[in-house]
Amino acid sequence: MALELQSVSIALPGQMLLKPFALTVAPGEIVTVMGPSGCGKSSLLASIAGDLQPPLSGSGRILLDGEDVTALAPERRRIGRLFQDDLLFPHMTVAENLLFGMPRGSRQTRDAMLRAALQRIEMEGLGSRPPHTLSGGQRARVSLMRTLLAKPGAVLLDEPFNKFDAELRGEMRAYVFAHLAERRVPGLLVTHDRADAPPGGRVLAIRNGEVRDA
Amino acid sequence: MRLGAAGTLPLIVLWALPLLAAVLTALALAGSGAAWSGFLHHPQAAGGMFLAVWTGTAATVMALGLAVVMAMALHGTALWHRMPLLSGAALAIPHLAFAIGFGFLIMPSGVLARLIAGGDAPPNWVTTQDPLGFSLTAVLVLKETPFLLLMLWGVMAQGDAARAFDGQIKAARSLGHAMGSVWLRVLLPRVLRRMLWPIIVVWVYGVTVVDLALVIGPTQPPTVAAVIWADLNDVEAAVNRRGVAGAVALIVALAGIAALAWGFAKLVTPALRRCLARGPSALVSLVKPGRVVSVLVVAIYAAVLLILILLSVTPRWPYPALLGQGVGISSWRQLAAAPVLLSIGIAAGTAITALTLIVLWFESVAQRRDRLLLALAIMALALPAVTIAAGQYHLLLRLGLTGTVPGLFLVHLTPVLAYGFTVLSGPYRSFDARFVAAGRALGASRWRVWREVKAPLLRAPMLTALAVGFSVSLVQYAPAQLAAAGRYSTLPMEAVTLASGGNRSLTAAYALALALPALLAFALSAAFGRPRWR
Repeated sequence: MALELQSVSIALPGQMLLKPFALTVAPGEIVTVMGPSGCGKSSLLASIAGDLQPPLSGSGRILLDGEDVTALAPERRRIGRLFQDDLLFPHMTVAENLLFGMPRGSRQTRDAMLRAALQRIEMEGLGSRPPHTLSGGQRARVSLMRTLLAKPGAVLLDEPFNKFDAELRGEMRAYVFAHLAERRVPGLLVTHDRADAPPGGRVLAIRNGEVRDA
Repeated sequence: MRLGAAGTLPLIVLWALPLLAAVLTALALAGSGAAWSGFLHHPQAAGGMFLAVWTGTAATVMALGLAVVMAMALHGTALWHRMPLLSGAALAIPHLAFAIGFGFLIMPSGVLARLIAGGDAPPNWVTTQDPLGFSLTAVLVLKETPFLLLMLWGVMAQGDAARAFDGQIKAARSLGHAMGSVWLRVLLPRVLRRMLWPIIVVWVYGVTVVDLALVIGPTQPPTVAAVIWADLNDVEAAVNRRGVAGAVALIVALAGIAALAWGFAKLVTPALRRCLARGPSALVSLVKPGRVVSVLVVAIYAAVLLILILLSVTPRWPYPALLGQGVGISSWRQLAAAPVLLSIGIAAGTAITALTLIVLWFESVAQRRDRLLLALAIMALALPAVTIAAGQYHLLLRLGLTGTVPGLFLVHLTPVLAYGFTVLSGPYRSFDARFVAAGRALGASRWRVWREVKAPLLRAPMLTALAVGFSVSLVQYAPAQLAAAGRYSTLPMEAVTLASGGNRSLTAAYALALALPALLAFALSAAFGRPRWR
């Protein structure tokens, strides 16, 4: 499953924020987009997710596995998002957060998937805990697993490692990249820090509204 | 959840247009020269205007002063962090119920006289309905202090603002300023600027209030709002129009005084600014006086509630006995025949409707369009209630809705929605939109994300808006009295009528019937709105 952007651009009234560009992210590949604050990195992700807010407007086509999802509502695009904050729903338990995006199915199936997910993130027995009782690393793992359990066709990563200290940052980076590669999910990562990019991965830079190889 | 124009339509039709039409109707009706001349030559107009401006302005200045002194005493304590609960409890007691209870406390045959003066007959005190309106001022001060304190807390104690203020206090103290100087030179200039609208709302309310003026205000002459009110209730059309002219004249007077105050503020600002830069001062904070004031205010509220409760179950309480004779619930039984259900039904209905309309608005339009709604909400709260009521009455007459439940519902909705919007707009608009984006990226529909994520996380402010709306609706007097046209009666109408009679036990029961549902609404809101997460 690949993520394809065709002539995607973003504009403010009277100003082109991001000039039209094309990009294909292969299954399991993670492409990094870098650029200074306000250059349109996060807006690009919002546009791909179908969540671009006025006064910003986007144009171009977004294809997932060949299917044009440009006109679809965000929830029907099958495009997952990870933000700088974990954004776990604070009024739900860890298990409820994980189940929130899990596709419908029998209770047994969902319970089995939940148990497997908790095991995968090394948090067995913590399903009934509220998010605020977890460590930063645990919360980040739950957030990632919540996104993956929704079976996304692609994942957008909006500076998800920024808030971690150096040690946890490296650990979480490896963790996220491994999970996306294992499931062959294409990912688009925006960051300020080149060190966040996966080793050997493609890195793009936004300069003066143009997206180019860095 | 963007609903487009369809989401804004119910609010525009049910609230914005009726409000605008009511104000325009009042202005149009006041256009007659005879009506203006009649009002300007009214023997009680000038005296009533002086009394209203004096009581409302004095009450606002004193309430603000007390709120600041209390904030100085409570800032940084455990009570400061519980301010919404503490102030909420005081705010939940309606002005009218408080005025009735306070009257029983200070009147010549009241509890204070029994404790202090004694004797066989009540002393010759003029403590309620006094000619200079001191008792009315006292009630306004006591009722508005908790509100302004809560507003102060709202500016100072939440999120980033709290951290910024704490940082400024530390910085100023490290530069040699004592806490009093920090408050005077650093905190208050910023805080008071942001409290302009709450102060204006309190002032306009104080100058134009009708029900309190009828219960505890002066009578010869009464305040101008009471003068206008008498005209508006007159059966003669000419007198009625004179009342409408008076209601508009009240706006003109308020605008004139506000302009004078603005000019005065401009004049003294340079001198005040020089005071800011005088350097470190050892001025201490008014912690002890603030604590005394806080205890006094709490004690008066407790005494008022206690007196109301005791009176409501005491059939006879002759002077100078400190306790009543016997215990009975006959007054409470009479309440069964009172319009309790109608009042509570309208209050619940308007609160729920207002919340629904406000949420629909928020989910339909971008935040920048809130300015329109804010302007209308300020209009609803900062214009005299008696002016809006006059316009609403004539509008309802034309629509054939006077003396109907829908008419009553519409006039109650006006202030309820305005208060609901002011309560909810901050929390709702500052909700982290990324939660919605995260939910939708997980495959949930807009409605599901609202139902399962946004609404639960915004439960506390939404319940507060409901409780505020409920209590505001419950105590509407002037607009409800006119709209009901004698066909319906609500609790405040009955309570105001009873307050001028001699049945203290029944009056107390009515005052409690006004206070208890509002208190219950705030208690429920606090209990169910408390977040179980950090």
